[in-house]
Amino acid sequence: MAGMTQIITWEVQIFLLALFGIVAMQLLSGQISTKNLLYGRKNDTGELIVGADGLPEGRKKDDTTYFSPERVQLLVSTLGVAFYYLTQVLNNPHPGTLPPIPDSWPAVVGGSNAIYLGGKAYSRLWGRIGGSR
Amino acid sequence: MIAAAIAFEFPSAGIICGYLICFLVGALGVAILYLIFDGTIDLSRLISEPNGDASMARFQFLVFTFIISLSLFLVIVSGKNGKPAFPESIPSGILTLLGISGSSYAVGKAIQFSDPAGVEDRPVTVTILPTTATVRYRQTQQFKAEVARRRDAKVRWEVSAGRGTINSDTGLYTAPDPPMAPAPAPAAAAPPAPPAVVAPVVAEHATIKATCVDYPDVTDVAVISLFA
Repeated sequence: MAGMTQIITWEVQIFLLALFGIVAMQLLSGQISTKNLLYGRKNDTGELIVGADGLPEGRKKDDTTYFSPERVQLLVSTLGVAFYYLTQVLNNPHPGTLPPIPDSWPAVVGGSNAIYLGGKAYSRLWGRIGGSR
Repeated sequence: MIAAAIAFEFPSAGIICGYLICFLVGALGVAILYLIFDGTIDLSRLISEPNGDASMARFQFLVFTFIISLSLFLVIVSGKNGKPAFPESIPSGILTLLGISGSSYAVGKAIQFSDPAGVEDRPVTVTILPTTATVRYRQTQQFKAEVARRRDAKVRWEVSAGRGTINSDTGLYTAPDPPMAPAPAPAAAAPPAPPAVVAPVVAEHATIKATCVDYPDVTDVAVISLFA
């Protein structure tokens, strides 16, 4: 019975670590697309393109992308929270229990997500009304 | 009932079944990993939205899922009294974090669905740069093609109207020789000398076309004005 438990433990452990490794490698190598992960889109497809002479040259075929600080802060907070919790688990003084997280964390993650969503909503919903962002 | 009967009749049957399940779980894991490695399970758009852009909300979900699953596994394995065991409770803070992440993803989708461009997979497009050009006869002009959403796509160039040649691979356009001026009519008698007239510069136009090799319907054209 102990042997069987050990086998299952190894199987799940190897599977999880291999899956994590594959996803991490593909993210870093670009096989998993991270295109525009830190870029937002202004909702300006179809707007007139005006040339230097003031005459229209055509219409935009695609949205304009912009570097998005709100995505960067969400990325940082997500990775920070995730790896800090993992260290809590690895150094858990009470085996067999999931360590609790500090009370301030939900507020931090919630605020970070709210900033991200606010920026996204602004660029997509009000970008057209407000013109260039 | 049947399992109990089997276990009573064949005490080792339970152990055999256990090892069989171990083998099946292991085989399933190996198969999944192999299919990912093989490319049959395609992860290339694991965190991408339908329009091809990567999503921070999906990425956050991915990270939290990995961290919590790994944490849960480590906690179960460490168990109690040396035996694997599920934790008695899951801290409410973890559930709150997952809830925030899920809600953020849902609200993000709602924002995207408010605008069709955010959910449609946009087509591949090709754009010739510059879109227009003025070239002297016998001179060359280099054109470039930007392919959106397929950066590695090959482009084939051709002159679709007018004169001139273009390298089908590089987009280097070479303007033709100027058209021949009409020969003057032979003078029968000596007419009065007309006032000197400067022949107007004859301008003509040519059109070039760029076509995505992999997407024959994806094309763009540019107009070239030729001057002497």
